[in-house]
Amino acid sequence: MFGYVEIDKPELKIREYELFRGYYCSLCKSLGRRYGQISRFTLTYDLTFLYVLLDALNSLPAGGKMQSCIAHPIKKRFVVNSNIFAEYTSDMNIILMYYNLMDKWEDERKLLGKTGTLVLRRAFNKAQRLYPKKAKNISDQLKTLSRIEKQGCDSTDEAAESFALIMSEIFNCDHIEGEVEKKALSWLGYNLGRWIYILDAYDDIEKDNEKSNYNPLLEQYKYDGKDIKEFKESIKDKVNFSLTYSLSEVEKAYSLLEIEKNKGIMDNILYSGLILKTDSVLQGKREMNEKRSV
Amino acid sequence: MRKDPYKVLGIKHGASYDEIKKAYRELAKKYHPDRYQNNPLADLAEEKMREINEAYDELMKNSGGGYQYQSYSEQSYENSNASRGSTSGQYQYQYQQQSNSQSKQHSKSQYQYSADNDLEQKARSYINSGNLYEAQKCLDKMKNRNAAWHYLQGLIFLRKGWYDRGYTNIQKAYNMEPQNFEYRNALNNLNQQAAGYRQNSYYRNTHREPDMCNICLRLWCADSLCECLGGDLIGCC
Repeated sequence: MFGYVEIDKPELKIREYELFRGYYCSLCKSLGRRYGQISRFTLTYDLTFLYVLLDALNSLPAGGKMQSCIAHPIKKRFVVNSNIFAEYTSDMNIILMYYNLMDKWEDERKLLGKTGTLVLRRAFNKAQRLYPKKAKNISDQLKTLSRIEKQGCDSTDEAAESFALIMSEIFNCDHIEGEVEKKALSWLGYNLGRWIYILDAYDDIEKDNEKSNYNPLLEQYKYDGKDIKEFKESIKDKVNFSLTYSLSEVEKAYSLLEIEKNKGIMDNILYSGLILKTDSVLQGKREMNEKRSV
Repeated sequence: MRKDPYKVLGIKHGASYDEIKKAYRELAKKYHPDRYQNNPLADLAEEKMREINEAYDELMKNSGGGYQYQSYSEQSYENSNASRGSTSGQYQYQYQQQSNSQSKQHSKSQYQYSADNDLEQKARSYINSGNLYEAQKCLDKMKNRNAAWHYLQGLIFLRKGWYDRGYTNIQKAYNMEPQNFEYRNALNNLNQQAAGYRQNSYYRNTHREPDMCNICLRLWCADSLCECLGGDLIGCC
């Protein structure tokens, strides 16, 4: 489910790319500091995006310094100085990942899920204590999602709602003060979450069909057991509309935010990265050789 | 505190008349109510639009180009619309009136269910005020699932972020009454929003460098063309 929010690297300026990487490293280090080294493996790009976005609303320049780390011990890299948003995003990352692993264990009995929850248990407890209301809301939505999936819900909209609301909750950061910003962030999160959920569903159609897992698209468009490629092709236009419209709403919410810095990176993701990802999933192109780590 | 009009329009101090105008047009397009139809953030966009209009008015007043200056923000707004070829000057107001009178006509000529009609009007006003729960309750009570019902149901779904169902419902309304201006407009707007985002994004991607193969092919074409006309671009071939 995670990792769909990406930059369009060839279009970024080198200094913007360095800065984005600096945010990623900063978040990774913040995770390590707050929750122990092992939690650093749970970091996703989606949350890095949130960190860059939240920090973009703050007019103080993003300072940083060259540092080395475990993953890159020799060459020092630019790391953005940690702030309240880095901490917030890493807390949310832990809550999200913990529930994600728990879901994997409960639904698919994946051993990785169980081990993961055991390892992250302490970290999760800490994050939950910091944001009890958010953790509760997220957990409630995940329960709804799991119920909907078990019932075999045949509406993509309805199935996507829970995940969309989770992202909305996470994007609506407590440390942002303006009401306008909070409202826009919340709608941005909703639509981004919806986009992620539906994109993931389309991406997994073959896999879910083979393993007879739940997939909202198989249910909504009544897959009849014929060629799965043809089925995917036949629903492409509808899914494309749903995805692009969600992104257009993400963009509208973004337009209402007062972006003080990081505009190049944000524009790159919002106007290029997301649509490129949409197209690559819709056309079934999986970038197998792509490096996962920045 | 009053905001710096230059900052609101995103331009440098001392920008020229044309620069101000261009920046204003772009922003007015960005925050245009058409784009924020059925969007829970419509009020924020409206607020932004007002800010931009104020900033533009202030700069125009001070620029000395008095003959081109229009004193009301609504006018400058309308002006930008007219230049874009859109007819929706005082958009929301007109739209509302039109749709109200239209649905009234419908009710007289086609539908006898006055109870349904009341509910439809109520649902409409609930949707306009953003109270989706009450609007849905009204729709659930309506017995006749006519085009208007599908249209309103579609609007509720769109507001909630359920675009798939929203689209299906509005399309259904349109198919039931293809001559209805309101339904056609809503359907077109949906398609336009999605296509618009794509276009805007692709625009940013068109600056990709052509690859070597492309360059060679173009050179060869240019050379051939020159040779046809009796000249030569690349001497050796």
